Amino acid sequence: MEALQNLLMGFTVALAPQNLLFAFLGSVLGTAIGVLPGVGPVAGVAMLIPLTFQMSPTGAIIMLTALFYGTQYGGTITSILLNVPGEAASAITCLDGYAMAKQGRAGVALSIAAIGSFVGGTIATIALVLAAGPLTRMALQFGPVEFFALIVLGLSLLMGLAGKSMVKALMMGIFGLILAMVGMDPVRGLPRFTFGRMEFMDGIGFVPVIMGLFGLAEILVNTEEKLTSVSVAKMSSLVPGKKEIGDSVGPILRGSVIGTLLGLVPGMTGSASSFLSYIAEKKVSKYPDRFGTGMIEGVAGPETANNAHANGALIPLFTLGIPASPTVAVIMGAFMMHGLIPGPFLFKEHADVAWGVIASFYVGNVILLILNLPLIGIWVKILKIPYGLLFAVIVAFMMVGAYSVSNSTFDILVMVLFGIVGYLLRKLDFPLAPIVLTLILGPLMERSLRTALDMSQGDFGIIFESPIAVVLLSLAAVILVAPAFRFFRKKTETLSGEEGA
Amino acid sequence: MVRFDLFRSAKLLSILMASGLVLAVSSAAFAAEFPEKGKTIQMLVGFAAGGSTDVGARLMASGMEKELGTSVLVVNKPGASGQIAYTALTQAKPDGYTIGNTNFPSSVVSYLDPARKATYARKSFELLALHVIDPALFAVKADSPFKTLKDVVDAAKANPRKVKISTTGIQSDEAFAILQFQKMTGTQFAMVHFAQGVASAMTAFLGGKIDVLCANVGDLLSQFKSGEVRILGIMDDESSPFYPGVKTFEQQGYKLYNSSSRGFAAPAGTPKAVVDALSGAMKRVSASEDHKKRMADMGLTLRYMDPVQYNAYWSEYEKTLIELLPLTK
Repeated sequence: MEALQNLLMGFTVALAPQNLLFAFLGSVLGTAIGVLPGVGPVAGVAMLIPLTFQMSPTGAIIMLTALFYGTQYGGTITSILLNVPGEAASAITCLDGYAMAKQGRAGVALSIAAIGSFVGGTIATIALVLAAGPLTRMALQFGPVEFFALIVLGLSLLMGLAGKSMVKALMMGIFGLILAMVGMDPVRGLPRFTFGRMEFMDGIGFVPVIMGLFGLAEILVNTEEKLTSVSVAKMSSLVPGKKEIGDSVGPILRGSVIGTLLGLVPGMTGSASSFLSYIAEKKVSKYPDRFGTGMIEGVAGPETANNAHANGALIPLFTLGIPASPTVAVIMGAFMMHGLIPGPFLFKEHADVAWGVIASFYVGNVILLILNLPLIGIWVKILKIPYGLLFAVIVAFMMVGAYSVSNSTFDILVMVLFGIVGYLLRKLDFPLAPIVLTLILGPLMERSLRTALDMSQGDFGIIFESPIAVVLLSLAAVILVAPAFRFFRKKTETLSGEEGA
Repeated sequence: MVRFDLFRSAKLLSILMASGLVLAVSSAAFAAEFPEKGKTIQMLVGFAAGGSTDVGARLMASGMEKELGTSVLVVNKPGASGQIAYTALTQAKPDGYTIGNTNFPSSVVSYLDPARKATYARKSFELLALHVIDPALFAVKADSPFKTLKDVVDAAKANPRKVKISTTGIQSDEAFAILQFQKMTGTQFAMVHFAQGVASAMTAFLGGKIDVLCANVGDLLSQFKSGEVRILGIMDDESSPFYPGVKTFEQQGYKLYNSSSRGFAAPAGTPKAVVDALSGAMKRVSASEDHKKRMADMGLTLRYMDPVQYNAYWSEYEKTLIELLPLTK
């Protein structure tokens, strides 16, 4: 097959000593940046771009892309060990990952996360090699109308995040939607709820909010208790057992598919993929109520999804020359700075670069797996560091991270504010995950609906003209209505039971 | 008594005069020394890293480093369509160590539109150079029934508000271009705004959801090379080297010139000697062969203007926008 031949040619490029070195450097930097809470891939890639000027284009791109998907490996670590997300996309891993850490199963969680990340990244790259064309064509079917329907479906799954109290989950969901309304109206361009601050014109920064709600709030909650170190339970084996591996296979496969497919859709972020994977796992699990107490599926799924997403998001860049997300846009900029124009033409003009980079995705994922697994033993030692010291350092990094998103001190204030909000919400026992879901999906939903209405000049009928949208919306309706059926069925059963008795 | 005071005030006066002289000499010397070795010049870019504005600015920055012998660091401060960076730029100390990029239309729109509540006006900027003019264009998919601009105009006339055309926002350069085109041809399109950027517009376009893509020359290099798009016309006074064979709007009978352009400015109040040093460096960078090649590689249309020409261009552009802005509301 031609693709495989080209891929083999790509491997000869990717495995050249200096390119291997660049892949290694990128992986190490990516993991490090992922670990540091708040500092994200955009900042890392942007910082490195000038340094790569002197390098060959192939080497530069290999290093930058390795950094990009490497951050999804590192982001898991603080999420699991400290309940502080290293990466926005790893926020959902905190829920079950940290619970596992408290039970002494941190090593297992980290191992499964690393393996899942590897599988996710590799499957997405296989998809790129084998099915890039058809996948991209499929993704192109998703215009604003279909996108809107997809988001509505995602929001309907919000029910899946309910946990103990449906009312509280819904309240938090609405809170997230309210937060999502801040910013410039997508059609009229007028500022809404911005309190006159231009920093709010693009909305309340997502990364500072997540770092505050999950990260800072966690630290604030912990300062109340006299903890000397995080994990009180004895650390069991670092290696996952047969049962855990068996339980993880399904989530990893599902996460890979979800991440790769959503990565293809421009506008979807890695956080959306990992969150939706979590919800999906909860839905298919036999024990949905146990999620949040340390279910391995709640770690395996999202961690795989966010890596599959990162590698999947690179597909449209190669097939269409379009960046699917702001982070990929930075990588596209890196291509352009070296005089390369990503897109199908790259395969004709610079086939060695194109295939070399693609082959480097495999190599990079292998390097990252080898890098991360043995390090787990070292990472878990972090749990032994005295709390006060550890968290002072983490807060410092989070401040830097929040600043680095847009070089803005205002974002630090946002993070602190939401840290306090998150602390209060946790004390009042409100679930935080629904806020994030609606905060991500809310703006996407509004934007796509308004764009769709621009297309139809105000006619809502456009939604029903798209078969994909109709299918997705029907699914959403079913999901929303199904619990009511169950409720009525139970009632009739009880009634007939009573009659029978 | 009186003699003592006179003596003291004479001494005071002479000290004051001497310090005045020293200051005058040293500030001239200071300006002549600009930039001091080792002191970094910050270039504020109001758009995300990796975007076309950012990439062009980085190329200029690296060229300036060689000319001025000191580091020039690009700092991205994205948000509010550039307004955050423009605010930071105009509020920075006018000593030449903070400069920034100024885009059309975002820089002009931000202070013309009262809803944006900008803290600056035109006079807050001391222009240094115009760098890039990225002409706007209309494009359709290769399999589209529209073969020429006239086909598009005819279709729009026959189906008012049905021909879908993309922009990157209500006050983007595409929106202004389309408004002018509508006025000129007496047509009405269905403008679809993709505020997240041209990438999302292109995705919808390639998926067949938009009939005509309005974008800029720098956006379609990849798609043009792979033969996926047909560019109907470019809104410039000359053809583009990147798209051989593509006519301009003027050549097809529509005198329309529109572009998104990028230049550089320092905060108002920057001393003239410093401004001259900076704009001189930018002039030399723009003329260098290496810089020209790198810009061409990236699909950026280099069109240098010195501060005087840039000021004239700015005035002209401002006039056009003042006319068109009410139409966007």
